[in-house]
Amino acid sequence: MLAIIDLFGNSLIAAALLSVAIGIIGSIMLINRYNYLAASIAHGSYGGVGLALYFSLPLLLSTTLFALALALLLAFLTFKEPKRLDILISVIWAVGMSLGIIFSDLTPGYHSDLLAYLFGDILLVPSSDLYYMIVVDIIVLLFTLRYFHYIIAIAYDKEFAIARNLPVKMIHTLILVLIALTIVMSIRSFGLILVIALFSIPPFIAEKLTKSVQAMMVVSGVIAFLLIVAGLWIAYFFDISATAAIILLASFIFLLFFKGSK
Amino acid sequence: MQSAIKIDHLYFRYDKEYVLEDISATITDNEYIAIIGPNGGGKSTFVKLLLGLLTPTKGKIEIYNTTPDKSRELIGYLPQNIHFNLDIPLQAREVILQGRLSAKKRGFSDKDFQILESLAQNLHIAHLLDKKIGELSGGERQRVLLARALATKPKILILDEPTAAVDFKTQKEIYQLLQELNLTKIVVSHDINILLQGVDRVFYINRKLYIHEYIDIDIKPKEGHFCEMELFEQLGGEHACNH
Repeated sequence: MLAIIDLFGNSLIAAALLSVAIGIIGSIMLINRYNYLAASIAHGSYGGVGLALYFSLPLLLSTTLFALALALLLAFLTFKEPKRLDILISVIWAVGMSLGIIFSDLTPGYHSDLLAYLFGDILLVPSSDLYYMIVVDIIVLLFTLRYFHYIIAIAYDKEFAIARNLPVKMIHTLILVLIALTIVMSIRSFGLILVIALFSIPPFIAEKLTKSVQAMMVVSGVIAFLLIVAGLWIAYFFDISATAAIILLASFIFLLFFKGSK
Repeated sequence: MQSAIKIDHLYFRYDKEYVLEDISATITDNEYIAIIGPNGGGKSTFVKLLLGLLTPTKGKIEIYNTTPDKSRELIGYLPQNIHFNLDIPLQAREVILQGRLSAKKRGFSDKDFQILESLAQNLHIAHLLDKKIGELSGGERQRVLLARALATKPKILILDEPTAAVDFKTQKEIYQLLQELNLTKIVVSHDINILLQGVDRVFYINRKLYIHEYIDIDIKPKEGHFCEMELFEQLGGEHACNH
């Protein structure tokens, strides 16, 4: 037993830290219907991975800056081009990924770790990433505590929020910035392609089980942690990819709740 | 009587074609205005201009001698039903309290909770406060949203289709409630037969504005439903029908 816990090592700490972000940011994403925006930032962030490889930059720094740039661009476009936002999101998604592929193609040598950035592996999370996760979790918590009522009011009825002079643009921009940071902190654990599933499924289940957004955030975080731990155990016993096991388990439970909620 | 809203030769267009043309009107303090007109005639655009959510292409609007975007805090607003995210796990009390938020106020004080309780009593929704907003019936939700609009302590109340998808009994109750409120009221609605009870003036908007000083006449629906233009003809607004 202790040997297994030791094997999981950083993974369990990462799971706990990721669950905090998933609980809060995942819930904010869901109640605002921002999952497509978040997916665009996640996939587009691959450009930051390619740049890190090509220019030999620290991965977290490069991907963070690239994801933040995408978040700010999307925040700007949300208000500038609201009627064509869907197509702009898709283009940003594709351009980011294409840049990542081109820069990694241009980088000499074979890059076996590229797949890890796309699909992640929570068993290989380095200790340095844990510090990044702690910092992001603290920022997410502070933002949510400070602006909680604004976030909820805007998510429920944006037009009323604008009519009350609430800082809708600022909150929208900060939410996208925090989505970018939480995505980057999850890259090595779940990869750019799978991360959105884990930020969407626990909040969806929690939304059906709770009567307040605060409770939704807490329950969503707990569900995320349980799913990750259960997925790790399944991966250990069947000797399969931990990330894929976690996402498939989450998706199975999602289907049960989705069917039940209809 | 002091004027609450002054509209001076207002024009608005989204693209090339004008949605609203040369609209001028003055609404005085405590006046009750009903806005009617066909779909796409510019009613909701007019409301958005009053709220400063849209900027006039030409002309101007003054609300208590200032621009709409600077006077938003004076306005209680109930948007159309279509905008709400009903999946959010949010209790009715939290929705009403949203009316107490402002650009400078991101939390709630004891006074806000007192206002909540008082509104809940007056609007007979105390039993709904702990319920999820998405689980309320259409009528219950509209009462909660009316409470949120009133929680802002407005001088002007603007309601955009407040009784859409609400049963007849609740429609009557909501309009009865509106009549009792002592503030400037602007209500956009299709529920003409009930809406017109107690209003001071009727604004018929179909690109242009036709104002009618309301007289209390008995309006009968033709073959079970109202045609707004026919109604306006009955009210004396023959220009609207010729347009």
